[in-house]
Amino acid sequence: MNILFLQFLLQIIFLTIVFLHISKKNLDAVFAYAVQSFTIVILLLNSFFETGYISLLFIALLVFTVKVILAPGFFIRLIKKNELIFSASTYLNTPITLAILAMLAAIAHSYRFAPLTSIIPAHEMLLSLALSMIFLSLFLIINRKSALSQIIGILSLENSIVAFAIFAGLEQSPSLQIGILFDISIWLIIATMFVSMIYQHFGSLDVTDMRKLKD
Amino acid sequence: MINSIISQITFVAVLSFFAIGGIGALLLRKHDTFANIWSHFFAILGSLSGLFFVALMASGGDDLSFSLGAFAVPFFSLSFHIDKLSAFFIFIISLISLFCSVYAIGYVKHFYKKYDIGALGFFYNLFILGMLLVVSSSNWLFFLIAWEVMSITSYFLVVYDRNDPQNVKAGFLYLIMTHVGTAFIITAALLLYKFTGSFEFEAIQSGASSIPLSIKNTIFIFTIIGFGTKCGIVPFHIWLPDAHPAAPSHVSALMSGVMIKTGIYMMIRIFFGMLWPVPVWWGLALLVLGSISSLLGVLYALTEHDIKRLLAYHSIENIGIILLGLGGALTFLSLNMLPLALLSLTAALFHTLNHATFKSLLFLGAGSVINQTHTRNIEEYGGLIKYMPYTAFFFLVGSMAISALPPFNGFFSEWLTFQSLFLGIASLSLYEKWIFILAAGSLAFTGGLALACFVKAFGVTFLARPRSSHTSGAKESSLSLRIGMGAMALLCLLFGIGSSHVVVFLESVGKNLAIFKGTASLISSSGQQVVVGNNFGSVSLLFLCICFVFVAGLVFYIVTFVINKNQKIETGATWDCGTDLTGRMEITATGFSRSIVTIFKGILRPSIQHDIEYHDAQSRYLPKSRTITLGVQDVYQSYFYQPLNRMVSLIALRVKSIQSGNTNMYILYIFIALIISLLFVL
Repeated sequence: MNILFLQFLLQIIFLTIVFLHISKKNLDAVFAYAVQSFTIVILLLNSFFETGYISLLFIALLVFTVKVILAPGFFIRLIKKNELIFSASTYLNTPITLAILAMLAAIAHSYRFAPLTSIIPAHEMLLSLALSMIFLSLFLIINRKSALSQIIGILSLENSIVAFAIFAGLEQSPSLQIGILFDISIWLIIATMFVSMIYQHFGSLDVTDMRKLKD
Repeated sequence: MINSIISQITFVAVLSFFAIGGIGALLLRKHDTFANIWSHFFAILGSLSGLFFVALMASGGDDLSFSLGAFAVPFFSLSFHIDKLSAFFIFIISLISLFCSVYAIGYVKHFYKKYDIGALGFFYNLFILGMLLVVSSSNWLFFLIAWEVMSITSYFLVVYDRNDPQNVKAGFLYLIMTHVGTAFIITAALLLYKFTGSFEFEAIQSGASSIPLSIKNTIFIFTIIGFGTKCGIVPFHIWLPDAHPAAPSHVSALMSGVMIKTGIYMMIRIFFGMLWPVPVWWGLALLVLGSISSLLGVLYALTEHDIKRLLAYHSIENIGIILLGLGGALTFLSLNMLPLALLSLTAALFHTLNHATFKSLLFLGAGSVINQTHTRNIEEYGGLIKYMPYTAFFFLVGSMAISALPPFNGFFSEWLTFQSLFLGIASLSLYEKWIFILAAGSLAFTGGLALACFVKAFGVTFLARPRSSHTSGAKESSLSLRIGMGAMALLCLLFGIGSSHVVVFLESVGKNLAIFKGTASLISSSGQQVVVGNNFGSVSLLFLCICFVFVAGLVFYIVTFVINKNQKIETGATWDCGTDLTGRMEITATGFSRSIVTIFKGILRPSIQHDIEYHDAQSRYLPKSRTITLGVQDVYQSYFYQPLNRMVSLIALRVKSIQSGNTNMYILYIFIALIISLLFVL
């Protein structure tokens, strides 16, 4: 597939992460995550068509089922069931958040990370973008107060790592593929438990309300 | 070859006996008597086998090297290398453990139904096992594990009497200090690895030439702090006067007599083996540290009223004396004066052996006294010689030995240390000569003050009349306690009388080290006479014995026939208005040491508190009682450890704010750490 198209797909993922940073509604975040995951599925399918490994097709279908259908569906049900009011609050306001996003993207593109991003020289630009997605996802977890959006941040980090692995030429490694699946299932279980428990205990998913746990 | 195999099997058997003793004691913990007998029986068996092993090594002559099993862990091997130096320390450990274990059979009975005897037996056996591994291992990682086994088991022994909060506090201080020391030891080991590429002692020794001088100096300082903390060198000694008294007395004897010597062992291993050649200032630094430790140790001992703390401070003093020998040896060695270096090292080794015997004896004696009186305060003793004559006699032997009085062993090792220092003064240039003069001066001071201190300790404890009700109910210790002490007392005498032979043997231990191979000897012994250098100094045991007998006879004659001859008992009113003599009229330990403390008040910084109670508090004319409390300010605590503690607490408070309890903050830390690591690595 044309490298420009691949770059376009990566940019979609990048933009979904930026959107996750500035979105004010729960449902929007879940949809953004679904779009992001779907883009990953397209990337995996692209790898399948290029290499012909049948396992990649299997992985792509599984990722589609889990990340595009099941996980967003689960989140939507959770939001509706508990009638969660999305806590849009972040630690930093939107302009500062965007400034930091720009800075992190610049750091990921800096020459200091060249040894990491030039693993496959042809994909240097793509790897830099994928690296900046990893950084941005991590920052999403840090900046969000709501536990639910933090979980979406973690899942987004997963997607970014998978994207990085695909462009670093690791997509054919069976261990990576099994790792991706295992990771997804574990994280979904943990996320379910986590969200349910927190909501039962505190009646809220805003981490600032959990401060009474301190000391 | 056969001898080597037998030695190897014997050594493994020694270790196994202690392991069986420890584990068995734990299994029998429900039955105090069985646990006591099992653990100490195997400790005695292990000690006897240890002595047999040393005899095998001495008869064979060759070093013993072997490994147990093969491990997939990198850099780690259960490898042992036992040369004469290791065998000498195994001898000390086995010898002292043997008699401490005999003593313990009777001693631990007073813990029955109060504490877990099985746990005591477990930690006691493991503690001895740890010490044996420390002096026989030849791989740094293995050594560090053994070192930790020794340290942690001794910690549990220190806090064994856990109902006393002071003991728990002392244990905590010990645990902290020993691990601070271990941190420095690990750093030194890692530095050695970095420049030699191996954790094996022999490989390090052969690759030592690749270590730059600045790194060697760093390793030296880290080693001194690390092993010096275990030895109790001033100013790293603060744990020692608290921890040694807290432990059960037979453990105190082992800790003070043997465990602290493992630090000395490693110093010899590193300075005289792994890091050779070394600069002159190392030896001189050891001499200065030795002088300070010996002098301050004895001065602090003088101010003590707690009998076990007093003995613990004397351990610091004696470690100082050993360091004088070691420092002298290192100085001579770096100046390429090998025969003199060998002489100094022999003196250090001899004092190591002697201190182990007399200090263990004194701790066992103190344990017997405390067992009967239930107090460690010597101001409450008095007149115990009437109730505990054997213990008093054994304690007197120990006191004479530690005060370096002939014919006991302490005299000969201190004499040898003096000779090495005098030879240094005679043969060195101006700069080094002055440090040797100061070292000799401090040793002379130390000897005199130690004598004064033990006149106080023995006099106040055993002579005159009971000062409190604690004393009057005392009885002589049981048989096993007396056997333990009696055997130690006999050893003090034997090592003194046989010093001419012991010295020759210890010189051969020194000669076994690679740097002393083929070195000419400065010590010669003919019959009962030891001669140092070309008739530079000599001591004749026969002459000393004659003098001792003559002086003892003279004192006896004067007391019996001169002082008591014309004394008639008259009944009449005396100056004290006919009041009976009581314990309150005797000189106290505080009163005895007060004049000496006053002389050294610049160093000791005493604080004297007077309390007067009046018959009529308002008129304040007729005092009912006066109390003088003589305290000594702990300058190390006040000026070093407490400021250090405050600084650490301040940093800890600041660091605490990092731990906000907010998940986002923690992820931010991870993120920052990730970015920094990537920037650093890439």
